Amino acid sequence: MQRREILLALAAAVLTPRLAFAERTPSPPGAEAYIIWPPDGATIPTGKFWVRMGLRNMGVCPKGINRPNVGHHHVLVDTDLPPLDQPIPSDRNHLHFGAGETEARIELPPGKHTLQLLMGDYNHVPHDPPVYSKKITITVK
Amino acid sequence: MNRFLVFAASLALLAGGAAHAGTTPADPKAIVYIGWPNDGQVMPAGRPFRVWFGLRNMGVAPSDVEFRNTGHHHLLVDTDLPPMDQPIPSDRNHLHFGAGQTETTLQLPPGKHTLQLLMGDAHHVPHNPPIYSKKITIYVK
Repeated sequence: MQRREILLALAAAVLTPRLAFAERTPSPPGAEAYIIWPPDGATIPTGKFWVRMGLRNMGVCPKGINRPNVGHHHVLVDTDLPPLDQPIPSDRNHLHFGAGETEARIELPPGKHTLQLLMGDYNHVPHDPPVYSKKITITVK
Repeated sequence: MNRFLVFAASLALLAGGAAHAGTTPADPKAIVYIGWPNDGQVMPAGRPFRVWFGLRNMGVAPSDVEFRNTGHHHLLVDTDLPPMDQPIPSDRNHLHFGAGQTETTLQLPPGKHTLQLLMGDAHHVPHNPPIYSKKITIYVK
């Protein structure tokens, strides 16, 4: 009996992460996020600029609202993709646009920076399959 | 009697003047614009083209979603602005993007066409103040 409980606990431990994975919100086929502006390789004359977030075959919806085929934008600044089965971190490298914004005014210090878009569902978890853009590099003068 | 008619007419005019917006507030700094095509652009006939919806200081939310300072895009094709205190009509001249889309593809017959964006609230009624773009003209040849 004790052994059985241990086995059950083990099975649960192994299965739980998969269940969490299975609960991710499906993304619609053909969904694509991309950065409209700035273009890859752009040199920005001032540190303050608008980032325009593009999305195809999918819709934008504020956080906290569970609807099919929607998500909200996150701009990843100078960082790689976070774990795709967990809520996207919220810090200066992971900017959340949970009010349904499709453009953002961003300020960066001079130098090379990377930008990448990643869609999150109503709980800020990436979709399955995840919808993210190409990572672009820009130079701020 | 004549006087009464004038009074009734001015009341009607005033009522019309007061009801030029819906009741959902929007940030007065919100700007909607057509990111592409450009005003005056010539587009090749027989080929669909992309229209991007630009929105600043406001967010996108699908229809029926009530979330502060959000709305969904409507693309007006070859028509003037509809009444601002009523739901935006839904027909071939008033295209609704109630799934939170931020771009679309369009194919138009050869000739001169106009495009204009108008935000609608959860119930497809323009905001107060109404948020609409400049009306642009394109030529399909």
